Amino acid sequence: MTLSIDLGFVALTDAAPLIVAKERGLFGKEGLDVSLHREVSWATVRDKVSAGVFQGAHMLAPLAIAARLGLGAERSDVIAPMSLNAHGATIGVSAQLASEMKEPDAAGLARAIARRLGRSDPQVLFASVFPYSMHTYMLRYWAASAGIDPDRDMRIVTAAPTSIVDRLKTEAIDGFSVGAPWGAVCEAQCKAKIVLEAGEFWPGGPDKVLGMSETWAHREPEAMQALLRALLQAMAWADAPENLGELAGMLAAPQYLAAPADLIGKRLGKEEKNIRFSRAAASFPWQSHAAWIFSQMLRWGQVDHRVDQGRALECYRPDLYRKAAADLGISAPLADSKTEGAHAEPWALPGSRGPIPMPRDILPDGAAFDPDSLREYAASFSISRVNA
Amino acid sequence: MRLLLVDPDPARAALVAEGLAGIDPLEFRRVDRLSEADLTAFKPDLVVIACDSPDRDTLEGLREATQNSPRPVVMFVDRSDPGRAEEAVRAGVAAYIVDGLQPARVRPILEVAMSRFQLMQQLRADLAKAQSDLASRKTIERAKGLLMKEREIGEEEAYAMLRKLAMNTGRPVAAVAADLLSFHGVLKGDKP
Repeated sequence: MTLSIDLGFVALTDAAPLIVAKERGLFGKEGLDVSLHREVSWATVRDKVSAGVFQGAHMLAPLAIAARLGLGAERSDVIAPMSLNAHGATIGVSAQLASEMKEPDAAGLARAIARRLGRSDPQVLFASVFPYSMHTYMLRYWAASAGIDPDRDMRIVTAAPTSIVDRLKTEAIDGFSVGAPWGAVCEAQCKAKIVLEAGEFWPGGPDKVLGMSETWAHREPEAMQALLRALLQAMAWADAPENLGELAGMLAAPQYLAAPADLIGKRLGKEEKNIRFSRAAASFPWQSHAAWIFSQMLRWGQVDHRVDQGRALECYRPDLYRKAAADLGISAPLADSKTEGAHAEPWALPGSRGPIPMPRDILPDGAAFDPDSLREYAASFSISRVNA
Repeated sequence: MRLLLVDPDPARAALVAEGLAGIDPLEFRRVDRLSEADLTAFKPDLVVIACDSPDRDTLEGLREATQNSPRPVVMFVDRSDPGRAEEAVRAGVAAYIVDGLQPARVRPILEVAMSRFQLMQQLRADLAKAQSDLASRKTIERAKGLLMKEREIGEEEAYAMLRKLAMNTGRPVAAVAADLLSFHGVLKGDKP
């Protein structure tokens, strides 16, 4: 019997694994009848997964962890059995702010903020997609690296990806942090200046996950595995260079991203900072990614320091991933966790079916992140709420 | 009590407003987009927002960021009523109360909003079905006309032929009729 499954997604390039699996009939081949539902709000995606309206969804990695911790909503049993991508998020500024910054870096932003303060001009206002998102953590990290306190020296509002373009057009914001393709759309349609890409900020860092209901995954273990297999195959297809043109066209359709295919295509392809789906273990739910995300929740005071990190880490389920990878003969990482940002050169990751070639991964300030010392890490920044 | 309704769908919002008219004392404001000015000037005790509004995340972000202004708080009625949360999400309604408001005062409002959202969903589904039924009838009529012309048969015979094709393939008559029309087009040289 075919099982019907409802999955939610937001109009972003990294929803590709779900869209490709649907369009190429990969769900059907695994015996699943999957309906995709586009949502405009991450809060709604979270609530529909928590309430069981959706069995799973394309989800911001930090949102899945926040839901499990009960941050911003009732605690729910969300798990992340796979990551959906690495890279794609973009920080950009309006043409006006770019001219005030002079240099397109965080130090330039600090100068612009100081100048506005001196003239009593309005505070610099950025939009990011959700409080619990890599987009927000990247923006905060980047700003703080130049001594900017993101809660005091500037303002960050939350706006859905598609509304960020509108806000920039109406000059209601000075800058943004948003996922692909909307950064490229802001650049093309509003003359925004791109100042940082996730692939430069943290090569191989987390972004979206498949957020699933744990209750459902336990009740339907076979369907859960079938879903993972379909998505892993879709991700391999989406990463293949010969499919990129077709992929961009598929995503551009009105029922999916409703965005220009050429702008979607700009962040696809082999170049190191572009979006990765399956290559370099980008689909593996690294518990060290969950640990880093938790460290930023601590750093910015989103989570009380007495909360145990165990509940955040258990959201990520490499065990479920490995089973699906084994069924498909895909090499899966042997470790659940790794030291993040420890490789300045390409390296080989030990895998179940031989080594997995990995490009360099370094964190922005060059300091490696040891998931076992996440609290020390969170407290190590000069701008941090941990010791406040 | 002051209630702010954020709904990008004006027809649905009007339906909710009509339902809420019977509840007093209620000061009510309806907007299709959320602006911070609405929150600071109107000072709602309760915000009811459509789940398909992109501004829902903006509201969530405010809750996260504002420490000293009145904070909207996520709530789905109260915890003694667990199934309610699911129902509200299914209906497409989210509600945020500003600190201090009693859940009991929110319940009747949320009930109205939920039932009106569900009603709208039903009306839209009925309309879509009526439109698709009409389109199917037109397709069948055209396929029938085509068969009558090509095979030089009567109307009843043409319809019987379509019905037999449908039964043999286990598909709806309208689908068979649509196939027939498109195949005919291709045979005549149209691009598929």
